Amino acid sequence: MLFLTLFKESFLFAIQALVTNKLRSFLSLLGITIGIFAIISVFTMTDSLEAKLRDSVKSLGDNVIYIQKWPWTFGPDYPWWKYMDRPVPNISELDQVRKFSKKGEAFAFMVTAKGTAKYKSNSVENSDLLCVSHEYDKLRVFEVINGRYFSESESSSGKAICIIGNTIAEGLFAGEDPVGKDIKVRGNRLTVIGVLKKEGESMIGSNIDTQILIPINFARNIVDLRSDRFDPVILVKAYPGVTNDELIDELTGVMRAIRKLKPVADDDFALNQTSMLSGQVNDLFDVVGIAGWIIGGFSILVGGFGIANIMFVSVKERTNLIGIQKSLGAKNYFVLLQFLSEAVMLSVIGGILGLLLIYAGTFVVENLMDMDINLTKSNIILGLTISALIGVVSGFVPAYNGSQLDPVEAIRSN
Amino acid sequence: MEVTRKRPIILLIICIIGILWSLVNFIMVFSPFIKKISDWTPAIFGIIVALQFISFIGVWHMKRWGPMLYISAFFAKLIFSVFVNDVSYVGIGLGSVFTVFFLIYYRRMDDEL
Repeated sequence: MLFLTLFKESFLFAIQALVTNKLRSFLSLLGITIGIFAIISVFTMTDSLEAKLRDSVKSLGDNVIYIQKWPWTFGPDYPWWKYMDRPVPNISELDQVRKFSKKGEAFAFMVTAKGTAKYKSNSVENSDLLCVSHEYDKLRVFEVINGRYFSESESSSGKAICIIGNTIAEGLFAGEDPVGKDIKVRGNRLTVIGVLKKEGESMIGSNIDTQILIPINFARNIVDLRSDRFDPVILVKAYPGVTNDELIDELTGVMRAIRKLKPVADDDFALNQTSMLSGQVNDLFDVVGIAGWIIGGFSILVGGFGIANIMFVSVKERTNLIGIQKSLGAKNYFVLLQFLSEAVMLSVIGGILGLLLIYAGTFVVENLMDMDINLTKSNIILGLTISALIGVVSGFVPAYNGSQLDPVEAIRSN
Repeated sequence: MEVTRKRPIILLIICIIGILWSLVNFIMVFSPFIKKISDWTPAIFGIIVALQFISFIGVWHMKRWGPMLYISAFFAKLIFSVFVNDVSYVGIGLGSVFTVFFLIYYRRMDDEL
């Protein structure tokens, strides 16, 4: 009951202080508002981008190892001249890897090329041609929303069919159903049997919407599967419960055996995984997070001094009121809690303003940049917690000084 | 008759160091490192830091609730550090030294709020 009375009185005092001294209060709260805005907006941005990155990595397969000629990341003393002579993975090695690997659940071979897709007078330039073996759908997460995936016989016989991304479908068949229609790619006629669900560009550069999936056995007619230009890759997905490191260990042995490398010879292949790319982006997020923290941290600290200042003034203005309260029997803690609650209230109002600004900002960013930005519950809790705590820390000294006043001297002051 | 309680110089130094240290720690509350641990970690860490700050104000005013609050916050922080696996031996050592000095001068302090 006492707490509720205190809360009500403090709230009224805070509102009264805000209304009576609008400009002073606004300027004092501005520091907290800017601080909360800076910190929470950076956290909101990085959280949203990290969620998008996680989705991208998941769609590429976070438990998939890519056997390639070139590694995705390089150290400072990267001997590129040694890598030049490496052989590219070939489709016959796919069968051997499948035969010897015990920890791999699914295996696929893929080469990528660029090409212009044409249908009647429409064309989409620079489409990504993904020439894949049958099990590709078990390694990558995607959804065929219209039509179907290749059948095993279509894949093995190399039928002239394809599955197209959403952007390709919109570009070539505006308003028409693409399934069953023939498109031309690199001079070859392909029948569309499916359309992929729209996903947008991923954080790590791949965009399923601009891709055309073609069976690898048909792709032999279009591209040279042994050419370094088309970046041949063997994809291996681990069984559930098998870590990427365990699979990498096994694949290293398997690939060395397939290529008959001597024990002292270096590996002539690279085993890549998506975490290598997401790790680099995560490092960038960490830097952004630290920058936001430093800028916001100092804003909040300055805002805290503003709140402390306004509370010192508030105590000074109401000194005789404190005297009357104490002479009527109010305890020290009552006066202390009264002013402390007022400081917390003021600070939380500043924090709420900052959060409202971010909430409005998310709509602007979503519309301008076509990004999914969410002010999460954890960030709202963090923002309100910080504001409440800064209120406690900055309001305690003025509130305590007020509570220690002598009633007689306090009443006499004007 | 009002009793004046003079603050010893060592407590003055400890209070200045402690208040400044609490402000620095307060900035740590909303660091990305703390936030990564869990959603509620910044709130818990923030409450501990705020309690430490308030305890130094208590010691500054030579009030007994200051050392008591400081020791409580010290142990709370210790448990928190063990929980998040970030134990600082310098912090424990410094905290122990502060506690010893607070206890030495505890009798000279006022037991009212």
